[in-house]
Amino acid sequence: MNVELTELTRKFGHTRAVAGVTLAAGPGVFGLLGPNGAGKTSLLRMMATVLPPTSGTLRLLSRDPGGYGPRREIRRRLGYLPQQLGYYPGFTVVDFVEYFALLKDMPPRQVPHAVAAAIEHVGLGDKARAKLRTLSGGMLRRAGIAQAIVNEPELLLLDEPTAGLDPEQRVAFRGLLRDFGQRATVIVSTHLVEDVAAACTVVALMDAGKIVFYGTPAELTARGEGSGAAGDAPLERGYSAVLAAARAAVAARS
Amino acid sequence: MNGDDLLTGRHDDPGPHDVDLDRAWLGVAAQVWRRRPGPVERAAGRLLRSPGLARALVTTPSLLLGWVIATAVVLIAGVGITLGTGQPWVALLAPAVAAVGIAYAYGPGIDPSWELSQSMAVSDRMVLLVRALAVFGLNAGLGLAASAVSGAAAAVTFGWLVPMTAVSALALAAATVTRSANVGVAAGLAGWAITILAGQAAGDRYTAAVTDHSFVLPYLAFAACCVAVVLFATRIPRGTR
Repeated sequence: MNVELTELTRKFGHTRAVAGVTLAAGPGVFGLLGPNGAGKTSLLRMMATVLPPTSGTLRLLSRDPGGYGPRREIRRRLGYLPQQLGYYPGFTVVDFVEYFALLKDMPPRQVPHAVAAAIEHVGLGDKARAKLRTLSGGMLRRAGIAQAIVNEPELLLLDEPTAGLDPEQRVAFRGLLRDFGQRATVIVSTHLVEDVAAACTVVALMDAGKIVFYGTPAELTARGEGSGAAGDAPLERGYSAVLAAARAAVAARS
Repeated sequence: MNGDDLLTGRHDDPGPHDVDLDRAWLGVAAQVWRRRPGPVERAAGRLLRSPGLARALVTTPSLLLGWVIATAVVLIAGVGITLGTGQPWVALLAPAVAAVGIAYAYGPGIDPSWELSQSMAVSDRMVLLVRALAVFGLNAGLGLAASAVSGAAAAVTFGWLVPMTAVSALALAAATVTRSANVGVAAGLAGWAITILAGQAAGDRYTAAVTDHSFVLPYLAFAACCVAVVLFATRIPRGTR
């Protein structure tokens, strides 16, 4: 398993953003769904080794990120796209992707070819020498995806990757996800259930810091059948039905 | 051709005489788009044995040309005032300027890609320390040059280096702990101002902060404490087992 989480918890003051999540993921595309404030981003940041957990066990790529050496090895094999992509406005797309390729400790001789491949992969070849400040939101997102995949990661973590992408780009991006899912663990946090339906092999639904559903998109869809839950698409109805059931259970307990 | 093939430039079933255009194009693009590092970055890469660290160093906000020019302008003004009044203004200004530069060397809000940088194999602690040392070195060099030009303050030419170390360490520690460059600047400037005013209050001599040798050990001890705080604040978090 490339990702093994056991009772992982993260607190911010008295708020438990992630409340005892246990999860395992191997190669494939793993969708992380949930409403705003469910804890998806905090969970992803812990897996990206940006945010230390308050308690629980975290193993990534069969290593413990608590030690310097293993953490460095994990980071060499990691691709991460944060929700808010910060960038240097004066950098070109090539500068940006190359900067992170170097920070990922890639061998310098491999960097130019890997940068070109990543930029072509996200369809930004014609903007390779353009300054980031001149790009649209969707293009910036694609530049962010390019830096995430430049090192051919074994663990790819994407937080809202399709935000700002037009429908054509989203279709192409789902193809990219499926490609990477054949040889790496791809974890995608998203609000868009159609992304999950099209690209993910497994999906987890988070609410109030906990995993309230874990299964295939088909199983999530089945939860919505005959439930009368709100939603335009079958998967959306499954999403709404699971959330409603989880919240009703919490209300009954309290 | 799938995405994997795009990355490797390999076709599923290339004909015997096919030219692999994707692979050829990637080779061309890699050469055409390739960025040529400047001499400073190349030298830093050799010195630090890490091209990533060298790249992070040359993107330091407080080492950019505009910032260096602003620092030089402040010190030149200090030289002018020193020459005009005979008071060691360069010695009093240099620590404050260095503290501001160091607070703005690395951190959230300073580095746009700070969140991403934290997930990189090149340790963000190393980036912070290398950048802080480089900013300190540059400011020390500029300060020494300014001191040398303002001959009126020859007696305190080196007197400000130790207080500059302490004030810079304070700014770095405050910026690191609070994750705010502005707090680092405020702490550094306030600390230095209090030190100068304390000298004025105690002995009616505001230059005591840079001329009184009995302060050297306290300055160094304080700087060591601040460095310890920085190392603690940037340690690898435990509790992930």
